[in-house]
Amino acid sequence: MFDTLIAGLLQGNVYALGAVGISLVFGVMNVVNFAQFSFFSLGAMLAWFFVVRQHLPFWVALALVIVICAALGLIINVSVVRPLAKYLPLAAMLSTYAVSQILDNVSQTAFGAQYREFPQVLSTTNFHVGSMLFGTSDVVMLGITLVLMVVMSLFLKLSKIGQAIRATTQDQEAALQVGIPVGAVQHVAFVIASALGGLAGIFFALYDGIADPTSGLTTGLIAFVAATVGGLGSLVGAVIGGFILGILEAFGIYWFGDASNQIIVFVILLIVLIVRPGGLLGKVPLFSSEPLTGTFLGKGRPFRIPRWVWLAAFAVGAVVIPFAGSDDLLTTGTQVLIYAIIAAGLTITAGQAGVMALGQAGPVAIGAYTSALLTLHLNLSFWAALPIAGIAAAVIASVLASPIWGVKGHYIAIATLGLGVAIFAVIQLIVPLALYDIPVPEWGSTELASPLDYYLIDFVVLVVTLLVIWRIRGSHLGKAIASVGSDEVAALASGVRTRGYKALAFAVSAFFAGIGGSLLAAQYTYIDTTVFTTVMSVLVVTIVIMGGVGLPYGAVVGAIVLIGALQLLRVTDDLRIIVYGLVLILVVRFRPGGILVRNS
Amino acid sequence: MKSFARPASAAAVTAVAALTLAACSSSGSPTSSSSSNSPVYFGVSAAETGQYAQYGQQFQEAFTLAADQVNAKGGIDGHPVDLVYEDSQSDPTQSVQVAQQFVGNPKIILVFGDYSSAASIPASPIYTRGKLVQYGFNNSNPAFTLDGSEYQWSTSVTTAATYSWEADYLVKQGIKSVGVTYLNTSDWGIPAFAAFKAEAAKDGLTITDAEAVDPTSDDYKPSLLKAVAGHPQAFVHIGYGPDAAEIVTQLRSIGYNGTFYGGQDVQVFDDTPDAQGSIDGATFLASSPKPAVQAFVKAFEAKYPKAGPVTSFEAGAYDALNVAIAAAEKGGITRAGILKGFQEIKDVPSVVYGTISFNPQTRQVQTPTLTPTILKSDAWVIYNGA
Repeated sequence: MFDTLIAGLLQGNVYALGAVGISLVFGVMNVVNFAQFSFFSLGAMLAWFFVVRQHLPFWVALALVIVICAALGLIINVSVVRPLAKYLPLAAMLSTYAVSQILDNVSQTAFGAQYREFPQVLSTTNFHVGSMLFGTSDVVMLGITLVLMVVMSLFLKLSKIGQAIRATTQDQEAALQVGIPVGAVQHVAFVIASALGGLAGIFFALYDGIADPTSGLTTGLIAFVAATVGGLGSLVGAVIGGFILGILEAFGIYWFGDASNQIIVFVILLIVLIVRPGGLLGKVPLFSSEPLTGTFLGKGRPFRIPRWVWLAAFAVGAVVIPFAGSDDLLTTGTQVLIYAIIAAGLTITAGQAGVMALGQAGPVAIGAYTSALLTLHLNLSFWAALPIAGIAAAVIASVLASPIWGVKGHYIAIATLGLGVAIFAVIQLIVPLALYDIPVPEWGSTELASPLDYYLIDFVVLVVTLLVIWRIRGSHLGKAIASVGSDEVAALASGVRTRGYKALAFAVSAFFAGIGGSLLAAQYTYIDTTVFTTVMSVLVVTIVIMGGVGLPYGAVVGAIVLIGALQLLRVTDDLRIIVYGLVLILVVRFRPGGILVRNS
Repeated sequence: MKSFARPASAAAVTAVAALTLAACSSSGSPTSSSSSNSPVYFGVSAAETGQYAQYGQQFQEAFTLAADQVNAKGGIDGHPVDLVYEDSQSDPTQSVQVAQQFVGNPKIILVFGDYSSAASIPASPIYTRGKLVQYGFNNSNPAFTLDGSEYQWSTSVTTAATYSWEADYLVKQGIKSVGVTYLNTSDWGIPAFAAFKAEAAKDGLTITDAEAVDPTSDDYKPSLLKAVAGHPQAFVHIGYGPDAAEIVTQLRSIGYNGTFYGGQDVQVFDDTPDAQGSIDGATFLASSPKPAVQAFVKAFEAKYPKAGPVTSFEAGAYDALNVAIAAAEKGGITRAGILKGFQEIKDVPSVVYGTISFNPQTRQVQTPTLTPTILKSDAWVIYNGA
């Protein structure tokens, strides 16, 4: 028991260091900084490089890592994040994701993609408590965290810059009005956060023994939950949240196994958000300040799409591509179509209801598994399994998400991210083995499994999806949902049950996600939980934002650009991911409301 | 006019782009010329970027070495061998597209890959329909060939074979109880553990506790504390090199000192201080005195002085190209021919197994043998039980 507690404290320390950086940036900029996650692994890889390859002493390497991460953070904030944060915090968040992809890829290109044995520059086993060994490095890490807490608290309370940071965290607009250089404050916060990220990454690698070039996203998400638990914007809360999460996670894994890790983290998040919505030490956000929600309706007018464009697009999609396209193009097309279906469905929750659901890969997975199990084990035909998969995804995802809708403000979006991860973990528990030989669609006795067949099936489903969504938007239901998204307070005052409509919108989005999952399962004929990842969720969100968060046909354009581009860019191999990230940043920078929306 | 100019041109551009793509892709590759020196093309579906990129790099190095050696001797009946690489990131959603591309390119007569069974298996129906041999030389999940068609072949030792051997070996060493951790992955870890558990039950080996661990976790201490709570005599980890390195390091830091059975011949594990003394069953051993192995290792180190140690990944890929060449020489440099070649070849020289013959029912290596090895001074050497 005691050993587990120690293990939890040691790991919690790492989360605490990461969470402070995330909380800091969120507090002053209302931006979730995904790039922070890359600094975890970058810090570790840089330290490995300096110590092992360049033979520098550890303390010099440590200082260098801090300086480099700080400098990179400044560049990123100046060039990409801050300009977007002013316009649209959500766009800024997206750009940090693109930056994290670029950073990860540059790091892998520079240092190689291999895991590296991390040099034991500080002993990790020279002390013991019970049978549990720990070492100087853990003590140093704990020391740094405590010193950091004290220094930051004093800094925030007593120094001018610290007070400026607190003022900006409290109310950005008011701070601007009293003459606080908000821009400079945000740069300082970003720089500190980046340096802390690199530092946390080093200690993380020391604790594990390995520098992992890919560990950023997983650790980053847990640190993000820790920051939320502590209350986004509160640094002391972030540290406490980190330790609490580390300890609870350690005991949870001990009792329920590592497979339940993600579920535990999500449950902790939910409990805190329901019992104490602002986190332990944060403020409860007001309705109107929802930086992670898609309240874009005032942010730009969509272009009017004249009738003939619809006809032309239909003609190209239904006739030209199937007849003139190579198998390769058709297969890419099926990916584009499936993602378009999932993303179009998301526009109801994200655009209409104003909730940016960050975990859509969860309902996609539910749909895929339901469809696969029905066709594989119950010999149901694909055509029957398809709608049932959608319904199953809608029902199950809604049930699991039902505690979320009472949570306030931007925390709903965070909770949906955790929900997505938890769904994967639950599926892995229920269906641990992969599903093979999933039956393909059949018409009579003919198998419909060529690229052309799949393309046409997906195309028809997309067209039906778009029609259904169009009808919903125009209906009374759609208008009620839209009222929730555009002004929640007014909607409540008019008697609209906002919680219920958000849940309903989410269920509709989950339905279409489940349909997409069913199509995927029938096409791959093999699924396991690694097929559905948080990266898929983020890709769907990216598509939706790129196309314009409230525009279903925008989702189609977004899918063509992002998935089609990935295929086209296959040519540039190594640089592909970097170019992809850059393209994303440019689109978000110059058309942040979506490419089919006029800049307001 | 202005209000629809932008979206209209966007739609027009999209349409033109689609048509251009369609034209480019379908007019695509020239048909194989019948000139006697035209190259023979093999496709490779593997990770060039992403978390498995290191393995893609290792495969490429080995393939290039093997291809250079064969081409120096005149190639296959005068036709030089060439490889076409596509990046799948070992991601099933991309390996499917790569498969489609290869199937549609008539120059390609065989495809190597993918790195992981999870990426290979979804692509199998496409290769089968395209009548293109899919040589999953690194896929150790037996379902790849057993649930596949006549077009799926593998020369990897399967997880079932490896971990049954492990259980038997532990009992021979006098071990009565083990604690186990295994990767919680449906395509590899879970079936591998199932094979180990079944054989352990037959041999009377007690598993005091088995913990499924997530390969993306970096902190395993809570799981390890539970796994060793029953004071097992030894510890088994069913997983890959990087996670094994983390596990063995953290195992020692919680105070457990029993022998560690696990690990993999990759640099990150080999160089880990706490990993020294680990025991594992190996097929390929760079330190083996066999002349074929030594020749291969020397040639590899000469060509790639900066690369890490020569491991079973490089050896497997090297063998794979030679097997494919043997099949092409036997059956012909066409898709149908190479399939026939695979069905007929026997005793192909191999640096991993000595010689390779296929079991025609399972399309796997006939009788792979494993040797116990121990990690000493950052290198794996044969272990004789002392």
